Amino acid sequence: MDEDFDVIVVGAGFGGPVAAKICAEAGLKTLMLERSQSVGDKVISGLTIPFYGFLFGPKFIQEGNPPIERPSDGIINYIIKDIDKGDIEIDKSLRVPKPFSPIIAFGYNAYCKPFCEWEVNQAVDAGVILKKSTTAIDVIKAENRIKGIITDKGERINCKIVIDAEGSKGLLAIKAGIRKKYRPETISLADTYDYVMPKEIIDKVFGYSVKMCWGWDEQRIAPPLGHGNGLMVWPYRNSLHFMQDQCLRINDNHVPNLNKLFKVYHRNITDKLAWWKNLVEPHIKLRARMWAGFEIYVGLDKELRDMPNHAAGMLLIGDAAGLESTELCDGVPAAWFSAEIAANIAIEAIKANDTSISFLRRYDKKIKQHPIIQWSISGRNRFDLRNAQEEHDLKKLKQYIHNGWGLGALTHFMNPFFQILLSYVNNDPVIITKWIKMFFRYYQNWIYENYDYSGKRVIRTNSSKKLRKVEMKFLRYMGILETILRSLSKKKKLLTIIVIPLSKSLNTIMRKALPVVEPIYLIILRLLNPILNRFSRNILKFVKYANPIIFQNQKRGF
Amino acid sequence: MVKNLKNFPGVEWVKGTGDFIKIDEKKCIGCMNCVKVCLAGCFEMVEKKARVKSLENCMECASCWYVCEEEAIIFTWPLGGTGYRNDWG
Repeated sequence: MDEDFDVIVVGAGFGGPVAAKICAEAGLKTLMLERSQSVGDKVISGLTIPFYGFLFGPKFIQEGNPPIERPSDGIINYIIKDIDKGDIEIDKSLRVPKPFSPIIAFGYNAYCKPFCEWEVNQAVDAGVILKKSTTAIDVIKAENRIKGIITDKGERINCKIVIDAEGSKGLLAIKAGIRKKYRPETISLADTYDYVMPKEIIDKVFGYSVKMCWGWDEQRIAPPLGHGNGLMVWPYRNSLHFMQDQCLRINDNHVPNLNKLFKVYHRNITDKLAWWKNLVEPHIKLRARMWAGFEIYVGLDKELRDMPNHAAGMLLIGDAAGLESTELCDGVPAAWFSAEIAANIAIEAIKANDTSISFLRRYDKKIKQHPIIQWSISGRNRFDLRNAQEEHDLKKLKQYIHNGWGLGALTHFMNPFFQILLSYVNNDPVIITKWIKMFFRYYQNWIYENYDYSGKRVIRTNSSKKLRKVEMKFLRYMGILETILRSLSKKKKLLTIIVIPLSKSLNTIMRKALPVVEPIYLIILRLLNPILNRFSRNILKFVKYANPIIFQNQKRGF
Repeated sequence: MVKNLKNFPGVEWVKGTGDFIKIDEKKCIGCMNCVKVCLAGCFEMVEKKARVKSLENCMECASCWYVCEEEAIIFTWPLGGTGYRNDWG
């Protein structure tokens, strides 16, 4: 390839295409390199993309129709006290209640491959040049800055800025002298099984909830050896993703024999865990087994967290910048956020004709100021859970599980969430109605498998039929909500005097109020269950038959 | 050019990767960490030193590279378009 580019994006995963698309749309000549033959060949799933990724992520995803496998309404934690006696406690407090679930979702379970393909198609449509089967093996360095990429075919491709979206191993960033190899205790190896299972049985056994299992070391039921790693099962449309993960180095510098351990864990789960054995096992067929390493504790280590994420002429995004979440083990939202930030900084830098390290430092500043990125790389519950396991302290174990994957998460998530929420609402007061429509549209797409990424599943064309009364009512409600939001946004005093100070102390308020509020909340939910169920059924019926046009943000035709 | 394996269903390997994992024999102290973490069984011990047996089943997880404290393992990506691939990730 003789031509030069403005930007080269290395890696077509979740973050790469977002950065590439934004650069191309700004008129920059953008090349995206991918080492596999087809996009998504080397990715490994086991994934709920949390809702905040969609709310605060790239606009084209929020307004598009990405391929999702199943909405997720939260997590059911199985705290295994004694597997042989079947003594298991359940914490399912972190679930979106009905009638909001499953439309207003906690997140979306997805296969990475079609999702990345969908993103890449959008990037290519925006003018990005995609070069597959090409491994970036080194950077071109000259005059103390990075000036391009050397590929495995020996090509030297020049550019003004490299955006490194290569994923967690960060080989290119190491070559470029920006980062170092991580320590093995920060890496978790995820052994993943993909099972086919009929949809109606998944609906019955799982519904929309992800199941997580936690146990004691000696039971060998869910890998508990690493820092609180466990077992997770994600329900997809008509398949399950089963993942057991384990840190590469554990107590006393001991590297576990994972080859042996994973076999034992897997056999114990299938033999001893009642719901798996009775409800799941008879209906599944193994389709694929794969594994990958995830750098889940990089954010907890100060030295690793402070490693640079940029150099003159190069910006690192997503997992390559060490932004994987420590608790949800999910790097997608952070990859999207950092991709957007990096692309915008790259555009500014190229415009200013300044790709020096001092100019690009503003990228690092923005990453460090991003409330959700910082929250997601600093959660300690999963890590600290290890101590509770070692001490065999059930009270502590339950506490960490509740704080990480139960309602206790509100005691540390509220501040960052509201901080970013307010900045969005400040920019666009009616964004909340756009988000509501997104949730409805995603759910309807899920029912009809209407995704705009492959020939097999085609997005429904907007029907031109007249809207029914109930559909007009939906639009009217959205209109009323927009009017309220607009008038609220004009009350700047309300925002500065009440909302902003309140939003900064929400975590503290939650910490104090939750022990009292949570039991009441759970009792109310149980009492109202029949009414909420009926209400939920009506909403789902409405979404099923609704004209898709009412869930779109652009008004077309009326 | 594409190989499937019975032990690892649903995944394929495209040949022509090149030697993307190498062991520096002088640095290897025979701790067996790489043998223990490799789920694909890519390594074997020969005269108390680790050796790459075969990269045919390698899923490129880089665990061997992470656990090698002696920096004896040299890990790079396979050549473009080769190596591990799957449709269910």
